[in-house]
Amino acid sequence: MASDFEVEFIERDDRNARFVVRGLTPAFANGIRRAMIADVPTMSIDTVRFVENSSVMFDEMIGLRLGLVPLTTPLDDYETGETATLALDVEGPATAYSGDLRSSDDLVQPADENIPIIELKEGQRLELEADAVLDRGREHAKHQGGVAVGYRHLQRVDVVGDAGEFDEQESNILRGVIETEDDELVLTDEFDNDLTERYPGKEVEVHDVPGAFVFHVETDGSVTAEELVLRAADSIGDRAAELEEKVAV
Amino acid sequence: MELRVIEKTDDELRMEIAGEDHTFMNVLKGALLETAGVAAATYDMNPEQSGGQTEPILSVKTEGDVDPLDAVGDAAGRVRELTDDFRTAFESAA
Amino acid sequence: MMIPVRCFTCGNVVGEHWEEFKARSAEGEDPAEVLDDLGVDRHCCRRMLVSHKDLVDVVSPYQ
Repeated sequence: MASDFEVEFIERDDRNARFVVRGLTPAFANGIRRAMIADVPTMSIDTVRFVENSSVMFDEMIGLRLGLVPLTTPLDDYETGETATLALDVEGPATAYSGDLRSSDDLVQPADENIPIIELKEGQRLELEADAVLDRGREHAKHQGGVAVGYRHLQRVDVVGDAGEFDEQESNILRGVIETEDDELVLTDEFDNDLTERYPGKEVEVHDVPGAFVFHVETDGSVTAEELVLRAADSIGDRAAELEEKVAV
Repeated sequence: MELRVIEKTDDELRMEIAGEDHTFMNVLKGALLETAGVAAATYDMNPEQSGGQTEPILSVKTEGDVDPLDAVGDAAGRVRELTDDFRTAFESAA
Repeated sequence: MMIPVRCFTCGNVVGEHWEEFKARSAEGEDPAEVLDDLGVDRHCCRRMLVSHKDLVDVVSPYQ
């Protein structure tokens, strides 16, 4: 098996990445995908101590909402199980937002600041202290850094001839990324996911490219998409190293 | 990761790898099948609700003079190389 | 009662976009275009915002 991988980015920003990897086995591709979802840890609020809650929601409901707020995670500074403390104090009439959370660690901050936690009316007040803990998606979905992480086969589109002159052109829907005859990678969004838009009046054949996978990685903001991929690969590599060492003795 | 050898002969091995799931076991199995001297490799894992053995059990059968434990070591080393290569390729593209 | 923090199906954060979505659709903008603009692309996330109703004002008198 060829182990020299080729990676090519199609889309890339902080929270979103789409890239093609060549030379992968399906087992390895799936291992990376699963590791991104369940094995890369993120910080998330886990314990809440309420000082005052006179809002219309129960403590538990607010606790759940706080847990789902993504927090930026400095993965080099924390070990699984370590905690950071956050506090919130809002008095009505006002809405408590995720951005009102004050953190003890500058690196652990709400990744999004406009998530409404609870709307407070005149005389209502929410004051609490919360512990965020680093854990993995396997334990609870709130610790899952990757959102809608997946891959598809790269598909190659070859023009094999002209469509019959009087044939009805049926739409030929494809999703993901295609490789054209000129080895260009094209996002199917660019032609409305319909091959007849890109190759009008042509007959085309579509084949899977062996060993080439198009990954789409989106994160909730707790880590960057790039870091998520690298940490996922490392988590598999670390386990392999551990096994290698244990088998040797 | 806790290893427990259940059965071991010159060319067969059954081993429990506690604390792992499909994420790692399937990658390992894939690497084992590409390792020289391995005739067969698989793993078995039961869901939590089954109530019985829920940790994955790796089964390896080798041919020639290959010790199955060495084969597992080789495959694990191969997985580590693969992840390192992947990291390098990804970082250079990024 | 309050907009869910995340999409039930995919786990994407949707609470972030609620207030802007609400304000802009109330001004008469096409809700579909607002969602496109906010980057809420998947229909699982879109339904979270489209089908939501704030109920704090309704329940607060019964505290």
